[in-house]
Amino acid sequence: MHIERKEEYYVKLILHDLGEAFAELLTRKSDHMINANGKYAPCQGCFSCWTKHPAECFMKDELQQACRRLGQADELIIITKNLYGGYSTPVKNVLDRAIGTSTPFSTYRGRQMHHTLRYGRKGLWKVIVYGDITEDERTTFTYLAERNAVNEGYERSEAVFLDDIARLEAVL
Amino acid sequence: MKTLFINGSPKKRFCASSYFLFLQRLFVGGDKVTEHLRTRGDYQRILDQLPGADAVVFGVPLYVDGIPSHVMGFMEEMERSCREKGLHPRVYAIANNGFIEGKQNEPLMQLMENFCRRAGLTWGGGVGIGGGVMLNVTRILYFVQVGMLILNLLFNGISTGDFLPVGPLQSFLKNVLWLLYLNLGVLFYLIRMGRAVRKREEAGKRYTRILVPSFIFILFADVFFIILSFLEGGMFRGWLAKKVPDR
Repeated sequence: MHIERKEEYYVKLILHDLGEAFAELLTRKSDHMINANGKYAPCQGCFSCWTKHPAECFMKDELQQACRRLGQADELIIITKNLYGGYSTPVKNVLDRAIGTSTPFSTYRGRQMHHTLRYGRKGLWKVIVYGDITEDERTTFTYLAERNAVNEGYERSEAVFLDDIARLEAVL
Repeated sequence: MKTLFINGSPKKRFCASSYFLFLQRLFVGGDKVTEHLRTRGDYQRILDQLPGADAVVFGVPLYVDGIPSHVMGFMEEMERSCREKGLHPRVYAIANNGFIEGKQNEPLMQLMENFCRRAGLTWGGGVGIGGGVMLNVTRILYFVQVGMLILNLLFNGISTGDFLPVGPLQSFLKNVLWLLYLNLGVLFYLIRMGRAVRKREEAGKRYTRILVPSFIFILFADVFFIILSFLEGGMFRGWLAKKVPDR
């Protein structure tokens, strides 16, 4: 699930739903990697990662400490198949299970209410989208990435749309 | 005329989505079926309810600015099922989030709209609600108020012989009106959407919230989590610490 962390560097985490495809490339381009393989249970909405066992899910699977992995990252790259202008189900599953990157306390960010950040401000929230996509879905995805960046405390967001996944290396 | 209400909250009970769907059902006539979508195991049972449904109303919580993953998975199956069976129900959505701004549900609404286009369904619109968790708490407070009133009347009746004292009744009425006020925005838009569902019309996207100033809302939300974290022990387990992975 993860590669040895390079403490002294800007840490880059890749969350993807590509399975074993591109494994060598993704390993080379990241410090940590999470493979959203769709085999994880969905979030149960219990808030225990805030109120009972901070930054840890009560479900004892590979995603139990996913929020801590995301918290270590300065840059998050999400590679996902398009689904209605949003993340694929397996990728969204990981994101839903990782809300422990924030705390239960609230604050204002971007003139709206959000949770305070457990791990502080981050750099780039980048989404690389592959698969069939309409113009409306592109608009939604770009907006969604912007909202995620604000919500998760990233300085900026970027949404890249790939017609051909073979071009992945060029945009990583 | 059949309307299928799908509660997309993963919580077993007492979720905000069930509260808003309960309210929505009050303003929709005809045959009404409510299903709770929590896991993949629920997919087929709910898909079996689609034939004959003129309208589908999703009640979903906002998760990471979007739709919870188990609901996204269901929507993929629903798209497939509707295409195969030639089903075209009109789809509506009631989204709620823990933050106070209902507008934060906008990405979720766009996802629903895109889903409808992909699946060949008609998007009927939706209501995005801010402060969903706190509004859900108001339904408990209604029952608390009723319970307190009954006890008050009983004690007063036994001790003084007057079973209908004006004071407690006035106090009860004031508190219930106050709770109703907090829900006014939600009720207004759910009544409007209920009318659209009944007439199978487009309702548009509307956003509302619990009717309190946001700084007061944040104060209450913080106190709520402080109490919960104290009771559940998280406060004593590195509550706000930058935890590192240990496995």
